[in-house]
Formats: sequence, C-alpha cells, structure tokens
Amino acid sequence: MARGDSGLLHATTGAGKTLAVGFGAWRTLRSPAPANATSALWITPMRALASDTHRALTSAFEEIAALDARYAPLTVGLRTGDTSPRERAMQGRHPPHLLITTPESLTLMLAREDAKQTFASLRCVIVDEWHELIGNKRGVQTQLALARLRRWRGDLRIWGMSATLGDVADAKRALLGPRFAERGALVRATTNKPLVVDTLLPEAPERFPWAGHLGLNMAPLVAAEIDGYANTLIFTNTRSQAELWYQHLLRLRPDWAGVLAVHHGSLARPTRDWVERGLKEGSLKAVVCTSSLDLGVDFLPVERVLQIGSPKGVARLLQRAGRSGHAPGRVSRITMVPSHALELVEAAAVKAALAEGKIESRSSPDAPLDVLAQHLVTVALGGGFREAELLEEVRDTVAYENLTEEAWRWCLDFVRKGGPSLTAYSEFSRAAPDDEGVWRVTDKRIAQRHRMNIGAIVADSAVDVQYGPTPPGARLGTVEESFIARMSKGDRFWFAGKLLEFVRLRDSTAYVRKATGGGATPRWQGGRMPLSTTLADAMVATLGRAAGGDFDGPELACARPMLELQRKWSALPTPNTLLLETLKSREGWHLFAYPFAGRHVNLGLASLFAWRAAKGTPGTFSLSVNDYGFELLSATERDWGALMPRLVERPNSVEELALEVVESLNAGELARRRFRDIAHIAGLVVSGYPGERKSSRAMQVSASLFYDVFRKFDPGNGLLGQAEREVLNEELEVRHLFSALQRVSAREIDLHHLRRCSPLAFPLLVQRLREKLSNESLAARLERMLSQLNAAADA
Amino acid sequence: MEKTVVFSRHGLTLMPQRAVWSAPRRTLWIADLHLGKAAGFRAHGQPAPHGTTEENLRRLDELIALTSPERFVVLGDFLHARESRSPILLDRLRAWRRAYLSMDCVVVRGNHDRRAGDPPPDCGFVCVDEPAIVSDVESRHYPLTEDAAHSEGGPVLCGHIHPVVRISGPARDRLRLPCFAVIGRQVILPAFGEFTGGSLIDPKAFNEIYLTTETTVHRYQP
Repeated sequence: MARGDSGLLHATTGAGKTLAVGFGAWRTLRSPAPANATSALWITPMRALASDTHRALTSAFEEIAALDARYAPLTVGLRTGDTSPRERAMQGRHPPHLLITTPESLTLMLAREDAKQTFASLRCVIVDEWHELIGNKRGVQTQLALARLRRWRGDLRIWGMSATLGDVADAKRALLGPRFAERGALVRATTNKPLVVDTLLPEAPERFPWAGHLGLNMAPLVAAEIDGYANTLIFTNTRSQAELWYQHLLRLRPDWAGVLAVHHGSLARPTRDWVERGLKEGSLKAVVCTSSLDLGVDFLPVERVLQIGSPKGVARLLQRAGRSGHAPGRVSRITMVPSHALELVEAAAVKAALAEGKIESRSSPDAPLDVLAQHLVTVALGGGFREAELLEEVRDTVAYENLTEEAWRWCLDFVRKGGPSLTAYSEFSRAAPDDEGVWRVTDKRIAQRHRMNIGAIVADSAVDVQYGPTPPGARLGTVEESFIARMSKGDRFWFAGKLLEFVRLRDSTAYVRKATGGGATPRWQGGRMPLSTTLADAMVATLGRAAGGDFDGPELACARPMLELQRKWSALPTPNTLLLETLKSREGWHLFAYPFAGRHVNLGLASLFAWRAAKGTPGTFSLSVNDYGFELLSATERDWGALMPRLVERPNSVEELALEVVESLNAGELARRRFRDIAHIAGLVVSGYPGERKSSRAMQVSASLFYDVFRKFDPGNGLLGQAEREVLNEELEVRHLFSALQRVSAREIDLHHLRRCSPLAFPLLVQRLREKLSNESLAARLERMLSQLNAAADA
Repeated sequence: MEKTVVFSRHGLTLMPQRAVWSAPRRTLWIADLHLGKAAGFRAHGQPAPHGTTEENLRRLDELIALTSPERFVVLGDFLHARESRSPILLDRLRAWRRAYLSMDCVVVRGNHDRRAGDPPPDCGFVCVDEPAIVSDVESRHYPLTEDAAHSEGGPVLCGHIHPVVRISGPARDRLRLPCFAVIGRQVILPAFGEFTGGSLIDPKAFNEIYLTTETTVHRYQP
C-alpha cells in the first residue's frame, strides 16, 4: 500500500487482517494531509461488521494520533442502511476521512447527482471479507461500483481482504478488474494457524438418517460441552434450527436463562447488538447462531466453537473454526455435531478433505443482466452516462468483461422502454438519453423508486414482529409473511428465543404478546447451503472406503450400523459405481439415485432423468433432492431398470446438454422461481412504496403472474432468458452437470429393487420440499388425478 | 374434449372457457375481464407485455362464435384502472363491438370499474349497478353473503373473487386451477381475463366446485 499498489491480502481468520490494512489506509491518508473530503472507503458485506470495524479503526487511529502529534487526527465515519438521515446530512457537511459502508449504501451514493464530486478526493478503497461477496450478485454490484470509482480516480488504490479460498488469483482478478489485476499484489499470510477439527459422537448411533429431527438428541452432549468452557458459539445452518436449539438447550438447562442467547439475521437490530455486546464483554455463556456470526473483527475469542449439522463446505468450516482462538498464534478448534447418521460420514469426509488441503473456489457470476439494468439507472441518476464510455467501464469488471454488444443493447433498451421491440413498451421509460446523448432519469417518482429498490438481495416478503398493538411494545424482528399468513389469533410460535402468541396482523406488522406452553417455529426460506462439490467428492471416497470394509476413524466406526444396514438391504455407493434403488409404494413408482454431486447438480440430474423418462411416455414426476442423491416419484408405472440406459446417456457437448435441460426446465417450475428474484432486482416487480396512494395496489402483481404473461406474450424477453441462464448456470451448474453426467455414465450401474426403504433412501422419501416436472396436458393430468383419487376413495 | 357436462340448472351451462352460457335465453356471462391491466402497468413505469387485450378479445370471439349469443354480460371489473382507458384500447374496443352489432352488451359495475369509469357511450356497452336482472338471472359483481345465497330465490351469477382451487393427487402432484364455486343458488365465476391471477379458496366452504382447464370442466369433490 505504501508503494501505491493495489492488491489482495489473503490470510486465515484471526490473523490480523483488519489492522494490517487499517494501518495501510492510515499511511495512505496521512500524507499529504487530506482535505475536508472522504479519501478512503471501507466496504464490508454486513452492517454488523461495519459497526465493529468502525469501533476498531476509530480506536486504532486515536492511539496512533496520540503517539504522533505531527499529523492531524483522521476521522472515521459509518454509513449503512441503519444510518439516520440526520447523520447522513452531517456527513455531507463534514465528510469523514475514512467512510465505512456496505455495497448497497455505496451504490446509493453513486446514484446521487453529485456522486463524482463526493469522491473527488478518494485515494483508496478497501473491501473487507471479499470471499463473502465474490460469488454473488452483491459482489457484482461491488465490481461495478469499483469500476466507476476507478474511472473517476485513475490512481485509486484498491485492497481486498479474504479468508481462505481455493482460487486466490481469481479473487484478485474480480476485485481489481481484468485490466489491472496483473499489476496487483497478492499478499499471503505465511503463518499456518493451528487447527483442531473433531466430532461429537452420539452414544447410540441410529440406523436411519432422518433429515427432519435436527439432531436434538445430541443436545445433552452439547450442553455438557458448553458447561466445560467459559464461552461457546454454536453454529447452525438455518434460522429455524437456531431457534429450536436455543429452546431445547434452555429446556435442558433453565439456569442458563440470561446467559444463553440466540442470534440470526431475522432478529431486530437491538437484540443482535445486545448479543454481540454480551459476547464481547464475556457476559454470555453461549450463543446459538447462524452464518450471521460467521464474520466479525473484534470479538473476544470464544473458547469453544460447535457446528450443528454439516458445515457443507471446507472453507465454511475453516471460517467458523476461526471464531475460536481468534488471535494470531492461538489454536482454533471446531467440533462438529452430526444431526443424523449420514453426517457422521460427512464429518469423516471433511477431515479427509482438510488433510488433503482441498478447499472450495468461488467465482464471479457471469454477466447478470438484472444487476446491469439496475446499474444503468443508478449511473443515469448519478450524473448520467454516455453509452460508449459506460460500456467500456462495465467491461472493466470480471463479471461483464465478455458482455456481448447484444446483451448491452438489450439492457439499454430495457431501461429505456422495457424491451428491444420498439413498439413493445412505449409507455415505459426509466432512463433515456437527452439531446447531448447523456442518459438521465427525468421522472422523480422513478428516481425515488429506484433508490428504494437498490440492492441485489431479494428478501421474501417479511412482516415485523412487535409486542402490541396496545400498548405498542418492542420490535423483535421479522418473519416471512407466508408463516404469519397461516396463523390465526391465539396461535403460538417461538421467535427470538421467546414463546409468543399471535394477536393480529396490521400494515405488515404482526402484533404478539408473551405466551406460555408450546408452539411452532417459523421456517425461513433460503440460507440452506448445498454441499460443496469438494466435500461431496470426499464423501463418496469415504463411503467407498467403508464399502471395502475400512471403517477406520471414530466417525465411521460410529456410522457403521447404518452403513452395514445399507449394504445388507442394497449396497454402498463407491467412486466406481452408480447406486440406484427402485421401490413401489402406495404413493407410486420411486427411483432413488446417488451420484453424490451436491444438491444443485443432483437437481439437474433429477430433472434431466425425469425429462428423458417422460419423453417416451408423458407423465408427471415429483422430485426430491439432497446433497447425496435424488428421488423420482412417478404417478404411473415406470420400469426404471429398462429405462436406465436412456437416462444416463451422455450428450456430445455442454451446449447440447444445455438445450435438453432448458426443455426440461419448461416442464418444471425452477425458472419461474428464479424469475421472482430477477424481476425484483431489475425493477420489474416492486413491493409497494410508503407514501404512495392506496390505489397503486391495483398496480401490484405477483412475479409468478408476470412470468406467465411474459412466457406467453413476450417469450424473447431478456429477463426470461436470464432466469433460464441462471437456473442453468447457478442452480443446476450445467458445466458441472455435464461432467457429472459424464462420470455417471462411465460408472457401473448398481441397481437394487428395494422391499423396504433403505437408510440412504429414507431422507429423500420423507422430504416435503419437492420439485415437479410434467409434460402431460393439463386436462389429461387432471383427469388422471381425479380418477386415481376416486379409485383410492372407493378402495 | 367431451367431459364438460355437469352443471345444468336454470338452463345454465358452465363452460371450460371460464364463462356461463344460457342456451334457452341465448345469454353469455363472463366475470373479471380486467381489460388494459398491462397498459396500466406500463403507464406506471413497469413493463408488461403487449398482447393480453388481443388475447382476451380473441378468446371472446371464439366463445361468441361457439354460442352466438343475443346478450353478453360482464360481471364487473371490465376495465382494470383509470390508466387503462388509453385511446388505443378504446378504439380497439369499438372495433370489436362493431363486429357484433346485433348483440346486447351489459357491464355490471365492479370495484375496478368504479375507479376506471364506464367505457365511453360510443363503445356500446350498457353499464349498470348491481344487482341487475339479466335474462332472469341476478347478475352481480360482488357475491351474496352465504345466508343470502342459501335463501329462496332465483339463480345468481357473480365474480370478484377470482376463485382458484388447489388439488393434490398421487405421487405428491399438485395443481392450481381456476374454478366455478357454487354456493346455494349462486355461482361465482372464475376470472376470464388474461393476466389476472386467482385467489385460493377452500372448496369445503362451497356446495360444489367445477374445475376448468381451458378445454374441460370437471366436478371436484374434496
């Protein structure tokens, strides 16, 4: 940084990255003495992290200023979604030298008319936790913002910080942009932090994995672990799981009331602040949390970290392990708590992958048009743009370096008139070039709307949970609207670690009061990470070892009864075989397959198999998928064994496969769901605005309905195309799908007809979240359903 | 497809095209057309594809060719919003109307029509407030209350709800289908318009449910 370079600093959690780069920024700002303007930006992915960083840097800068009186003290400011309008106005008058912000808040600043002026003195930008951003659309939003700042400030220094990643060079390239990446420095910490990974073994291992019960039978063991240490973090994979574990631990140990806490992203800010403070001050004994506490800078090291269920990836495990012994030189330790028998195998696989140094890579999404369309309006608001200049700037990001002329034109047309066909949407215009060819937004209403919708994360419509209505009490956080919609007055549910009684819903606030007894736990969608390919490969290798009779290691020894039963009733998967099982039940004709390709690729394989099966004889399939394999359930008889050679057939190229998968998508519902997010980000569907007249409700419509009309009346629409592409590339990972299919077709088929559901099939069979695929005509499908229902009713 | 039988009371037939037909009275009813909805969206700065109005009118043409009605009744929400009254749409409506000069067209005003306003008189639609007795059938936009629907009286047709039923079949199959919901002497029609969506109803709260698939009508007993 002293040399004026840009680059990426790469080190494990707890190695001191924040202060290292913080001092670098200080040096950069120190001379020449900065004017009364923001000279450094610090971008963090989370608001919680932003306030932590604010505290850490403020005190560090004050300490240096105290040592070195020759320099005027540097000021540090904070600007996130939580910053009050008053504070923001203050920052406008007295800009802090270093401003800590989030990608969304930065984009908002870029959408101001005077954006260029605001950043006229900018010398450096620091991006914290870059590994959290790189693989998603918020990261793309950040790339676009950085490209904009680079254009304005040619000598801008950009530094990123990243924890352990598989491919660091890619991460650097995405941060600095394709043109400058070569010149950027890559700084790697050489110290290897000592790391201990182990597993809490159940006393009586089960023979059936059950994905639903969340491993609560392990709670007494977990409580005993918590007892033995001063403070413990208990990581769970979902918010519902965090709430459940919190209740359960408290039921086991009522004396922990007040020192046991729960922390997740749906809780109100004050509650989360209280928990974070409690952790820092050491007043809390244990906190049950989700990825909401994955990141953080100045937590006092906790003594113990537990991971409930699989960490789903090696990098994630490392990140969470770093929360213990969070200081240079200390030992990090993480203990996995398997929530079902198959996770014992996963635990063994994690350890094997770690031993071989296998860590996941993350790469930038490829040219998402929804983010670009949003950016065009942002830039049109923030001083306007000329087409050629902005195209050059946008192509200076890894996400859009290969943006085609055609896609670019489509985006321009989209913000100008909603689509490429000139007649298409003449009434629709958000931005358009003025007489001098500079694109601007002229409609104030559109400007305001855009500012409110900036962001690349689409939340499910959420309602506030608050005590009340009379008297109105504290806000507790948010739950999904769909959960509250099912509630009637007097129903009870667990939230924020409390049992609440639903009073009523008014203006998207759910009023509640305290209750006693028992209740439901809300389920939040999303947040369920797929097993990484790295870990899935390690897992099938581990199972192959067991198939050969090698049960070495505590985890495999513990999982042995389940694995033996699987071998007796069917077989164990190995790297050289594709295990298939068929079963006829009252529900229909099942096929179970175990390619161990991770949830996304397994879903792709499942859709493809169902589509190929339906090509011969039309039908309707229910698909269930997990990280290990998938199930196809047909309502009509299928001879899976005879179909198999056709199902595993290998396509000639990725393109050929993509075409086939697109066909299968049209028969399913994946693209429809993906379209919802895209429609939000591109500003196609809006969620209502405060202050607008009630009559605008007539202008609200579900993304699903939009999807249907676009499919029918404007099938060439670019956003539909993007939904399809995203499903192909992100949800189904078509490249991985291609290689998975190649591997699968090369394997020897190991087909077993089950009489009873096998241990591996069981979690798939009981799964309630399912995909559907159908190529029957609506009338034929309904007729068959009704006649089958009638036959069942008569029997 | 032939499986369209089912409901025949007071000379009324439920049609798979989401309409009700009275052969003896030569009258055709539809509900919730929501013309100009997409245009309204575009006026608010949100792109929505063109073609929904054409598709609505084309489907009406088909229905009229099939039945040759003397009277055509829209049970409310004929126009979607004030912004829907674009000159293009109204011209298109006049042209459509000219093709059926011998047919009476009646619009029973619904909640959307109140804000959107009546179509201009030269479009040739007679607009009335509910309840309107047309061809001896009480024609409404808003449904009667349950008690009123079960009371003595003649048949009632209405809209407003956009009823949709979800049914589950073997192999965990589920479908959402627009339906006619019958309660007492009242039939609630599914929304006719393209781009209208539906609202899920509990089939058990009704005496009879008839599912539609564009080509067929099926009686459904939960």
